Amino acid sequence: MKSFFCLFILLQSLQGWSQSKIDSEVSGNMEVQGRHSWNNELAKEDLAQNWDEEDFYLVYGNLNGKVKFKNSKLEANLFGRHSRSDLYEAPYLAPIIYTYPNKLVARDVFKLQHIEEGENYRTEYILNKLYYEWDYDENRFMAGRIYINYGLGEVFNPINPFNQPTALTSISQVAQGNDGLNFTFFVNDKYTVDFYFLGDKSLEGYEGQIDRTLWAHGEYQVTNDFQADFVIGEDQNRHKLGGQLEYSFSEAMLFMQTLYQTDYTDDTESHPLWDVLLGYDQQLSNTFHLRGESGYQKQNRYVTAGSINDRFLPIEYFLAIAAQYDIHPLVQLGGTVVNDLKSGFTYFITKNKIDLGHSTEFEIFAYIPLAKGDTIENPAQKLVTTDVGMALRTFF
Amino acid sequence: MFKKLFRKDIVLCLAIGSNSNNAEEWAKFAEKQMRGDRSRAEIVMSIKTPNWERTLEIESDVEGKKLALSTIKSPAKEKGIRTLRIENNMWNYFPKLKRKVAVSSSMLLASWMGSDFTNDDILKASSMAEDYSHKFLADLKKGATTYRVIENTAKSDAKVMWPKIITYASPVDCLPREYHYFDKQNKLKRILFLDDIKTFDGHKVPTNWVMQPQDDKNKKTTIHYKNLSFKTNFKSDHFTHKNLTDY
Repeated sequence: MKSFFCLFILLQSLQGWSQSKIDSEVSGNMEVQGRHSWNNELAKEDLAQNWDEEDFYLVYGNLNGKVKFKNSKLEANLFGRHSRSDLYEAPYLAPIIYTYPNKLVARDVFKLQHIEEGENYRTEYILNKLYYEWDYDENRFMAGRIYINYGLGEVFNPINPFNQPTALTSISQVAQGNDGLNFTFFVNDKYTVDFYFLGDKSLEGYEGQIDRTLWAHGEYQVTNDFQADFVIGEDQNRHKLGGQLEYSFSEAMLFMQTLYQTDYTDDTESHPLWDVLLGYDQQLSNTFHLRGESGYQKQNRYVTAGSINDRFLPIEYFLAIAAQYDIHPLVQLGGTVVNDLKSGFTYFITKNKIDLGHSTEFEIFAYIPLAKGDTIENPAQKLVTTDVGMALRTFF
Repeated sequence: MFKKLFRKDIVLCLAIGSNSNNAEEWAKFAEKQMRGDRSRAEIVMSIKTPNWERTLEIESDVEGKKLALSTIKSPAKEKGIRTLRIENNMWNYFPKLKRKVAVSSSMLLASWMGSDFTNDDILKASSMAEDYSHKFLADLKKGATTYRVIENTAKSDAKVMWPKIITYASPVDCLPREYHYFDKQNKLKRILFLDDIKTFDGHKVPTNWVMQPQDDKNKKTTIHYKNLSFKTNFKSDHFTHKNLTDY
């Protein structure tokens, strides 16, 4: 299967190569991060996370390649990540949070990855994007490992299960790959619809069967100020239906998302899930930006307490307020407060960037749980640590 | 008598002709010269502070007053980021992550990439000729030049961010040399200086634009037009979501 996939992409590229006009581009980025972490006292006793303070180092980067022919395109991305810490020795769960998203390919048939784990490190290389695209007048077709990126939610974006938001994580330059096909129909200026046919082997194991995803996402510009999106399909053995409404006015933008998921379509024990998101986005001055997101995500009671694979923060009812202030053309301050409205758990994240010029930037970040809250219903909140760190990233 | 004649000479802007005493005609003339019906510009933007300088290269396509598409060509960090405007709706596209994001129209007043220009300036969302009422104020002598001064006041139904803009225009070519932007409290917030007039496809256009914020005079942003074409014919799908995401 893997060989067939690579051969198919290669043949299409050779065919495109024979055409006259070719544009190519190589780009990428690299980031070095270091952080010092203090453990949550509750995690020591209740979740066997028996450590006090540790350092965690991370290097990651992307190498992007693009070859553009007259009416088609080949794109690839190689993502590499090396993390090192004594926290890997136990192993403890904190490194999973520090390297989120851990599952870099959301719907994975071909694997195309190499992972090496040692006593105190983990190294991985993943071909995170590799697809061929054909471009026609009113439609577009993609085949391979693709990025699927839509939806306005930055903290929580339930209508897109193929790419988790990374606003609250320390990794910024990453998107999740998905193996399959994408047909896009640009019906007219106001209406676009995407169909996705994806496969996933990660649920059943790579020797097992492929779980299918049949998915449609449409966006319709109803009026100048109002856009409606819908999503419908079958994904990871559940039927899902949802949508997004977005209303823009001169001062701000309001948006809403909802997603309903049925029980598993097979005999696996489950219950329906549903999510709601309300969002507000406003530019208050030419340097100050404010965003609010509030929502509900039904907790899946069949997921183990320590599981943080699906979503970054284990919160059922939440309110997130994010502010960004450009204190100087080269200095940007950012802060986000996330509150669990039910348990009282409150988390503060700050990321402050300094542009060093020459496509290099320096960031100081901190992750601080301000209020622990009642962790009976959401024991995974005990895993949230206090971290202070810095990062240096460069783009080429 | 001679003084009076000389004064008339200054006032009479040949390019505008017999309507040269009509402030609206001056605004229309400047817009037609600098904006045209459609244009493709290659721009170099420098953001300068006493200790830092940052340069971006941008390609900017504009058609009429409703359509605009800008693409950042360098530096590497921002390369490929595109912004599409269709009327008052805006979308950003980040090609490396394949992410298209709808942008609130309040973002028109946001700083563009940390510069002293706003999204509104770059995407030319507002029209000085159509969105403002115009009247002449007293001429003003600065150095050897006497400028015609036009007060532009936002019309009540116009969706613009500056309620008042004062134009200082050259009486020789009728083109603006300075724009003074005032906020709702009638406080001068920024000044745009324009010079180095060049002709592109029959349009006279200032090729050096310097935006000077008044609350921090240590910093400024300069735009230099490397190239400008008014004879570009964009494909029918140029200002569409399909083209926005085809990068």
